[in-house]
Amino acid sequence: MILYLLRRVFLLAFVFIALSILAFSLGYLFPGDPLQNFTGLRTISAEQLPLLIAEYRMDQGYIQQYLGYLQRIISGDWGLSFASQQLLLVEIKMLLPATLELAAYALLISFFVGIPLGIIAAIKPDGVLSKAISALALTGYSLPIFWWALLLIMVFSLWLGWLPTAGRIGVLYEIPYQTGFMLIDILLAQSQYQQEALFNALRHLLLPTLVLATFPTTVMIRFTRDSMLEVWEQSYIKTARAKGLSRSQVLYRHGLRNALLPVTRQIGLQFSTLITLAMITEVIFSWPGIGRWLIDSIYQRNFPAIQSGLLIISTLVITVNMLTEVLHTLFNPLARKR
Amino acid sequence: MAQFGVISAELLARSPARQLWRDFSAQHSAVAGLVLFSAFFLLAVLSPLLTPHDPYLQNDTLLLLAPSWSELGQVQYPLGTDDLGRDIFSRLLIGSRYSFGIAVITVVGALLMGLLLGTLAGMSRGVKSSVFNHILDLALTIPSLLLAIIIVAILGPGLLNTTWAIMLALLPQFVHGIRNAIAEQLNQDYVIAYRLDGANNWQIFSRIVLPNIWEKLTLMATMALSTAILDIAALGFLGLGAQTPTAEWGAMMADSLDLIYLAPSGVAMAGLLVFLAVLSVNLVGDGLRNAVKKRRDS
Repeated sequence: MILYLLRRVFLLAFVFIALSILAFSLGYLFPGDPLQNFTGLRTISAEQLPLLIAEYRMDQGYIQQYLGYLQRIISGDWGLSFASQQLLLVEIKMLLPATLELAAYALLISFFVGIPLGIIAAIKPDGVLSKAISALALTGYSLPIFWWALLLIMVFSLWLGWLPTAGRIGVLYEIPYQTGFMLIDILLAQSQYQQEALFNALRHLLLPTLVLATFPTTVMIRFTRDSMLEVWEQSYIKTARAKGLSRSQVLYRHGLRNALLPVTRQIGLQFSTLITLAMITEVIFSWPGIGRWLIDSIYQRNFPAIQSGLLIISTLVITVNMLTEVLHTLFNPLARKR
Repeated sequence: MAQFGVISAELLARSPARQLWRDFSAQHSAVAGLVLFSAFFLLAVLSPLLTPHDPYLQNDTLLLLAPSWSELGQVQYPLGTDDLGRDIFSRLLIGSRYSFGIAVITVVGALLMGLLLGTLAGMSRGVKSSVFNHILDLALTIPSLLLAIIIVAILGPGLLNTTWAIMLALLPQFVHGIRNAIAEQLNQDYVIAYRLDGANNWQIFSRIVLPNIWEKLTLMATMALSTAILDIAALGFLGLGAQTPTAEWGAMMADSLDLIYLAPSGVAMAGLLVFLAVLSVNLVGDGLRNAVKKRRDS
């Protein structure tokens, strides 16, 4: 197990180095002056130029420049944003929790809805209920997320007027930034309107979470169902049944434990899709997260922001990927042998 | 015993493809998906001949015409016109070329490239293959939209550039899948037997490996196709892919978004087509997967 972990850490280091090389080369690949792309300064005066060239090692070879870039990334100097001339790392710190909050709730919904539905669908694979769940899952799987979001906005916000269409919380409430996670921040802020603010934030949260949860939930349903059906045909299930265990006992003790193992792995694999979908959801619901920021950066030709967005999002996805894989190996003795 | 002989002879006479078709056509949903898929395919090929109006002709006497089922509509414009007086029906028909047709081309391109790289990776061993794997793992983790954003930032927005981005985003999963499928085949006894007969790598690949993995390839291609359709539409919607005059479904939705109060049907129709296209692909994919599984079990 220790050897396995060491190998994973080694792989992680390798992947991060490759990622940073990619991010570094973007400074040259993007249109415009590489020095501007690296510093994020829109105009560089004549006095600054020699200083910056020396600091960013632009007069030296690519390898020296890359090493300098790596040092800056590690020390937290990520340059400035073209659009706002603010420090990128500060901006990202403000935006990332919003995305994480949305993605985390969607992922939670997909567990608590998707896995039970998948299990129900697997119990009687030819039953009406199972067919209905599968049809529902296939429909949800095929929905283009932006269309689905717009349909829900049309119904719940424009026609019925029940839910707000944009933002994280009404403009009336002022929640000081502490952790960046809206619900936690509201609970931490000692205000007399806490209840109302919480309710308001939840109303804002409902539609985006529902939209974002659709795809992972359907994936969970399909995957849990397939995995259960496969496990259900194994001989140890037949043995357990032959021993005299009841259906629910077999399901709990032998079925679920084995069937849910590959599901943990699936989370890691689906996380990258989840982030892609979260970015689109953020744009539609004007959710102030990193996805909307990145897409705005394209319109504003804000290259340093795109570069740092690549670093931060890929790091996030890789870390989640690696964590779920390690967890999977931890729970599954069979996978440890490899 | 005689009966047994008859059945097995009958089974032997049936080619695997025909067996697959029998299992596939027994599923109603899969056949419905196939019909829908073929309809989209034909539409993508023939749409220039079918459009009742020029999809890019702006008719300023007929702005925002209501659909023909409403009292204000005209029967010549079945779904009405948009804010520039263009016939929505014709635009939706032509849009199948971009959203569906280009997705098919993208997937075929990615499949061919994936086949090449996956074969090279699958047939080789050692350090080279290990390094290759790790690079693939990295590529698999970058979200497709992020990759598209980067490529658009380098090359500028446009349908062609996003096509490259989507192809690149699809490639790793193809290479991964093909490499695993080939590695699985190479471990089979019949490959070793064939090798002992004196077959070289190319003969093994073309006569044994390829015929045995084409079903997996098709399955991978259907899954990639649904992703490609969704991604092209999403990028068009975000304004990074097809640009506004182009009648791409996602871009059309973004155009009609400002008019969501006045003419919600514009947003609904284009999205419905994307949904149906993806649904047809997924139905075919699921049907195929079930059929393959059924045939393997029997």
